[in-house]
Amino acid sequence: MIDEIIREAELSSEAPKRASSRLKSRILSTLVSLQQAEGSLRILSESRDHGEQLCVFEHAVAILPSEELQSRNPCAVCHARLLAEHVENAPIYWPGCPYARFCEHP
Amino acid sequence: MTGYSVPVHASDLQLAASICQRDRKAIARLIELHADSVHRYVWRRLTPKTDLADDIVQDVFVAAWRGMKTYSGDASLQTWLLSIARHKVEDYYRQTLKAPLESLETDQQPLFTADSVDLDAALDRSRQIGRAAKTLAHLPPGYAAILRWRYWDGQSTRDMATATGRTEKAVERLLARARDCFKTTWMKQEEEST
Repeated sequence: MIDEIIREAELSSEAPKRASSRLKSRILSTLVSLQQAEGSLRILSESRDHGEQLCVFEHAVAILPSEELQSRNPCAVCHARLLAEHVENAPIYWPGCPYARFCEHP
Repeated sequence: MTGYSVPVHASDLQLAASICQRDRKAIARLIELHADSVHRYVWRRLTPKTDLADDIVQDVFVAAWRGMKTYSGDASLQTWLLSIARHKVEDYYRQTLKAPLESLETDQQPLFTADSVDLDAALDRSRQIGRAAKTLAHLPPGYAAILRWRYWDGQSTRDMATATGRTEKAVERLLARARDCFKTTWMKQEEEST
């Protein structure tokens, strides 16, 4: 009896449909930092070859001749990351921006 | 029979491989695809203490990233992530129960046993469900956690005892008291509504 009540109560509790864009952004920043601590990031031209969409800044980095530069994280110095981490559904509209994909815009 | 099986979730496997190669764009895709379902799962399991949901969701993704090399593609990435989430929620239950166990334990015998709680006949089902959610939200976190852990997860009292470093008897007593508290709160809410 009790188990059924609790089960039903759980199912009926209204969980938000989406995780907040800030949370997703913070998770991304955390995981990228962990990736970097392990070694060089995959270079952007390889990411692109594997079907990942790049933002306008990443495109610029991807044409650089240095793999060392290409394996850096351009988001580390981008204000879009800061905005996304602190503002819910931040006004970021660049196609291919990894943080913009978490934001819902009307 | 060929004697071997091909992973059924090839696209998930490909995403996992990219993540293992430290592709940050792939990490973003993983979050975009699965953060909502993991968050919903954790949020529901933590109600009413949902303020910790974000921290636990982040822990789930960090754990997933650390263990990504072990992902075999036999189950979908979503299933795999939700199983990690389940363990993280259980860790939370364990921690919640370890702290308040002593304060919730008394020498009093519970007023009701599981079998004696029979509210089905008395209440309309839809009202019952809504009130049950409200009742759970009013219970001390330790009681809410132990009821969920026992009845939602189907965790045995023996396993709960092992996880919390208590005797099985102590866990059974706590469960009885949690049911008791559930019943009392339930009845109080009925009195208030009439």
